[in-house]
Amino acid sequence: MTLSQAKAVFIWGTVSSAVILLALTYNSLSQIPQRTHEDRLDAQVASGKWVWQKHNCNDCHTILGIGGYYAPDLTKVMSYRDAGWMKRFLKDPEKVWPADRKMPNLHLTDQEITELTAFLGWVNGIDTNNWPPKPVAAAAATASEKPGEAVFKAQGCSACHTINGVGGKVGPDLTKVGGRRTKEWIEEQLKNPKSHNPDSIMPSYAKLPEKDREALVDYLSGLK
Amino acid sequence: MKYESQKIAYNYFVVATLLFGLQVIFGLITGAKYVWDFDPLLNILPFNTARAIHINLLVVWLLFGFMGGTYYIVPEEAKTEIYSPKLAQLQLWLFAAIGVTAIIGYIAGWSWGMPFLEQPTVLKIGIVVVALIFLFNVFMTMIKTKEWTVIQGVLLGGLVMLALLFLFGIFFMKNLTTQYYYWWWVIHLWVEGAWELITGSIMAFILLKLTGVDRELVEKWLYIEVGLVLFTGMAGTGHHYYWIGTPKYWLWVGAVFSALEPLPILFMVIDTLRDVKERKVEIENKLVLYWAVGGVVMHFFGAGVWGFAHTLPQINQWTHGTQITASHGHFAFFGAYVMLNLTMIYFALPQIKGVKVFNQGLGFKAFWTMNFFMIIMVLGLAVAGVIQTYFQRVLGMDYLTTQGFMRLWFAVFWVSAWGFAAGALMYIIDFFTMGRIQKSPAG
Ligand code: HEC
Ligand code: HEC
Ligand code: HEM
Ligand code: HEM
Ligand SMILES: [Fe+2]
Repeated sequence: MTLSQAKAVFIWGTVSSAVILLALTYNSLSQIPQRTHEDRLDAQVASGKWVWQKHNCNDCHTILGIGGYYAPDLTKVMSYRDAGWMKRFLKDPEKVWPADRKMPNLHLTDQEITELTAFLGWVNGIDTNNWPPKPVAAAAATASEKPGEAVFKAQGCSACHTINGVGGKVGPDLTKVGGRRTKEWIEEQLKNPKSHNPDSIMPSYAKLPEKDREALVDYLSGLK
Repeated sequence: MKYESQKIAYNYFVVATLLFGLQVIFGLITGAKYVWDFDPLLNILPFNTARAIHINLLVVWLLFGFMGGTYYIVPEEAKTEIYSPKLAQLQLWLFAAIGVTAIIGYIAGWSWGMPFLEQPTVLKIGIVVVALIFLFNVFMTMIKTKEWTVIQGVLLGGLVMLALLFLFGIFFMKNLTTQYYYWWWVIHLWVEGAWELITGSIMAFILLKLTGVDRELVEKWLYIEVGLVLFTGMAGTGHHYYWIGTPKYWLWVGAVFSALEPLPILFMVIDTLRDVKERKVEIENKLVLYWAVGGVVMHFFGAGVWGFAHTLPQINQWTHGTQITASHGHFAFFGAYVMLNLTMIYFALPQIKGVKVFNQGLGFKAFWTMNFFMIIMVLGLAVAGVIQTYFQRVLGMDYLTTQGFMRLWFAVFWVSAWGFAAGALMYIIDFFTMGRIQKSPAG
């Protein structure tokens, strides 16, 4: 091969790939608004994105799978947490989720927290081609998931409680809680933990919708 | 060394070397937080701040190295002195000042908050000014004699591409998907595009000087290598557009093009080995030869093999955003760009310092120590990543519980990182003492 032929390889290789990238970029930009439902991207979401950047959350957490690997990916966090939990957590992470690996209290204002929650809610709706994938083992299990189990996840009870070996150790293991506590007792524990232990650090779930609390109590009292 | 102004490179190499040491220290701090959950620095230097400083120092010292390398190479290629040594000096101080401000800013909580691009916008504008001064100076030097060589052309092309792409990382976009779309134009198109051009050109220069093979042969291969780098790498950006809200066709485009990315890297290995085999002059500086050959081989494994391993969407959907990525990130950056910079420095430093023969013992020790421990480090992270992928993604175990199962391998990573740090220290000592301690020639 001569030098000028090599140069031709360089020029044509570069030009053809650049054309592909630019053409697909043009097309992608036209599809992103629908795929990310930009109509729901309001001023609050945009401010939330800036709060997210300002506090550099992304160097601990991945989002869309990109960033630091030190803390849970937050792309779909609003699929299993509700806004109430999120606001309590961001106000004081340590209190709501006393895990061994800690998220610092970033002293966010109430407004910042509301904006962040809106931002995470919007991100949750991005069409990510089904990423993260459904776990192979759990795909079979979710079909049989009880409604109460979903509430247990959304409320982050496993931050303090273990069920079947998964979860935190701040509160008692709940794998067999239905064997030692009655339905009424569990319901009371949720509404007012201080009624059983005046120094309890477990947050009260009195504000949980009636339906969710019932599902949760049914689920827990069934664990024997 | 033929031109007085090539000496400018020295100051750049000094800063690069010091920042390399600092980068490793911040790596050790960041890594400790994986080994022990309890973090005494939680409110002073939390993980995110330590990580930002670690990866910023990495990119910045490599850029200092590239700039120094450019100031060393261009006079020899263009057959003239640097257009303005004063500007080069100004550029160095400006860049260093911006770097220091950025680090202090991070600790004080001043951040733009996109990984690798955490620099607040004013500082980014400062960086653009630095790049403009640099490109102006380089261009004015080249145009003085109009001795256009392919090596120069590719080098300048890589530097211009590097600077232009940075612009895509400056603007705030409301849509996170769009923001990350262009973020990858900086991150991916740098390491798998612009930086590869710079690397190809610097390697071509060093091989030419070291082995005395025909320029025509070296430049022919250079064209083909960088042509293939850009052909596979530009459309290959698609391997980052699988899951971020971008259309489905990227699964195909990204997979096909990025799967070919190891090819030009393999060519670089073959090219280097052939030049060495067919050398026309005896290679006196054996240490440079080791860094050069070791570098292309580690470049191939870290970027080519480790990159290929998770580039297909069928695999990437499970491994995306796990410690597998961290393993590849360390391996590729070390093999490709740390080793290239150290090759350049070991090539240029004796000539700048005017030492004909120097004791290469410490340099060889640094070479083997860094390489050995880096391999253990990335294997440790790879095992942690496999555990994470399987437990968390395949079995559905929650994030923090899975981290507990990975701790042993974080410990393997972190302990070997101390070994790596020892190797880095040997290099730093060697850098500053070379020529000062005159001993009998070795090797
Ligand atoms: C220093 C690292 C760090 C920083 C910075 C950080 N986090 Fe966290 N975050 C964690 C860790 C670790 C957890 C895991 C639970 C815990 O320990 O509280 C967590 C948990 C979370 C969760 C719950 C995840 C889940 O699976 O339910 C959310 C939501 C969250 N963080 C949001 C944020 C936001 C928003 C920011 C920025 C304002 C942020 N984090 C900054 C480390 C961090
Ligand atoms: C911040 C930690 C924390 C969180 C979050 C938490 N708990 Fe608790 N929980 C505790 C502690 C500690 C106890 C032990 C008794 C006490 O001090 O109140 C407890 C006790 C219990 C008990 C009684 C167990 C027994 O056998 O005595 C039940 C049932 C329970 N929690 C359910 C839940 C549910 C359901 C949720 C989520 C909606 C939840 N907890 C969230 C800390 C927590
Ligand atoms: C020797 C001591 C080192 C230690 C202990 C260390 C540790 C770490 C840690 C803990 C992270 C954060 C990963 C995460 O987010 O979970 C990180 C990121 C990173 N480090 Fe290092 N590091 C070291 C040296 C290096 C060197 C020499 C390089 C360059 C070759 C390097 C390049 C990187 C890169 C590129 C990232 C970002 C990775 C990614 O985004 O996937 N590190 N390092
Ligand atoms: C010298 C060249 C290279 C360097 C320095 C490098 C570095 C990196 C870094 C630092 C990341 C992590 C970015 C982040 O999310 O923070 C990354 C991701 C990635 N790299 Fe490379 N890389 C190189 C070449 C390659 C090549 C040649 C391939 C493919 C053949 C490849 C495939 C990938 C893939 C698929 C990811 C995404 C990982 C994920 O999904 O989390 N890389 N690279
Ligand atoms: Fe890439």
